[in-house]
Amino acid sequence: MTKKTILRISIIINIILATVFVVSLPGAMGALVFEYVEQDTIRPDTLRKYLERENYGTVAALSRPIRGGAEVSDTDADYYKLGEYAELLFLKEVYAKAGNADSAKACEDRISEIRKEMPEYGSVLDKIELSVENAVKE
Amino acid sequence: MKCINCGADVRLTDKVCPYCGRVIKENAGYRADMEYYKKDSARTKKKVREILSENIPIVISAIILVVLLIADGVLLYVEENAFYFRESAAQRESEKKYETYSAAIQDYLDAGDYAGFSAFEEYHNIAEWEPPYDDLNVLCDMAKEYSSLVSAVEEVTMFGPDAKWYRPESDIRDCRSAIWYFNFQFEHNLSKIDEDPYKDYIYDMKAKADTIMEVYLGLDEAGRDEYFSSSSNKQEAYLEEVLLHD
Repeated sequence: MTKKTILRISIIINIILATVFVVSLPGAMGALVFEYVEQDTIRPDTLRKYLERENYGTVAALSRPIRGGAEVSDTDADYYKLGEYAELLFLKEVYAKAGNADSAKACEDRISEIRKEMPEYGSVLDKIELSVENAVKE
Repeated sequence: MKCINCGADVRLTDKVCPYCGRVIKENAGYRADMEYYKKDSARTKKKVREILSENIPIVISAIILVVLLIADGVLLYVEENAFYFRESAAQRESEKKYETYSAAIQDYLDAGDYAGFSAFEEYHNIAEWEPPYDDLNVLCDMAKEYSSLVSAVEEVTMFGPDAKWYRPESDIRDCRSAIWYFNFQFEHNLSKIDEDPYKDYIYDMKAKADTIMEVYLGLDEAGRDEYFSSSSNKQEAYLEEVLLHD
């Protein structure tokens, strides 16, 4: 094998390796970028789908990350808040029945706060309230 | 060597004596050898330079190849292990913020919001199996199961007036499993729970799970005893009856 052939082969290998490097670099760098407080990964269209189906329990369960302090983008915040509203209504009934008056009151305060913050969703909030009322078996 | 005319010291390379001017013939052979070696050395150097200049592109290319191989290897390693790097960085951060996070956790526990606590623990990457959070280990495990129970009951009970429920059977099955698993974990870990520093909260969690079953599934204490003593098929049949036909 002549030196020229060796050089040509090594240049080809270098080009391939350089291409692999350039293609892999953004992925590797992207994989290292993160927030210390995780951003929730549920897609808002999933929440929207369950809201449209009026499966408010699923919306409540999917939105729970917001109550754990997960970061949510501004555009999705309303959907998460509707879920938070549903979950707090659900839990308020449990706290009231279990005799945790303070926790029930804290839920109630946050529920009123959300209602004030989201006047445009009044009818949805009413339906969520109705869903909890109907869910209670007593 | 010495000049045979004046006896002065002369160098082997001198053609004439620098003192008496006599032409030195005695070192002619040495000088001829030196001349030959100089030319030979120059020829060798030239040859080496030629060979080097021929090989430099190959050497450079080989160096680049090795560097690229290492760089690609590093990238591959980073991509493969990025999850662990992120986890470990996030855990270090949660250790740094121990005071702040502990206060937040205490707020969740005092409010009896164990589902919120579980979400907080998950989304703040708290490693409950390692110090300084290791005392939360049992509490976190139970809170995860409690959180699943809350989600499962929410999913089968809260529907709007025009709701479409696409998979009632599987959702009810999941709900039964979540209830069963929480109670199983509680019973199974009872000895550990009784020694846990957070046992009061875990007992409160169990009481809340019972209350959820009472409020949303119509199972009071007697009902729960009967429910848990029945087979999984009967449990599912009960849930279907309550959730689909009531």
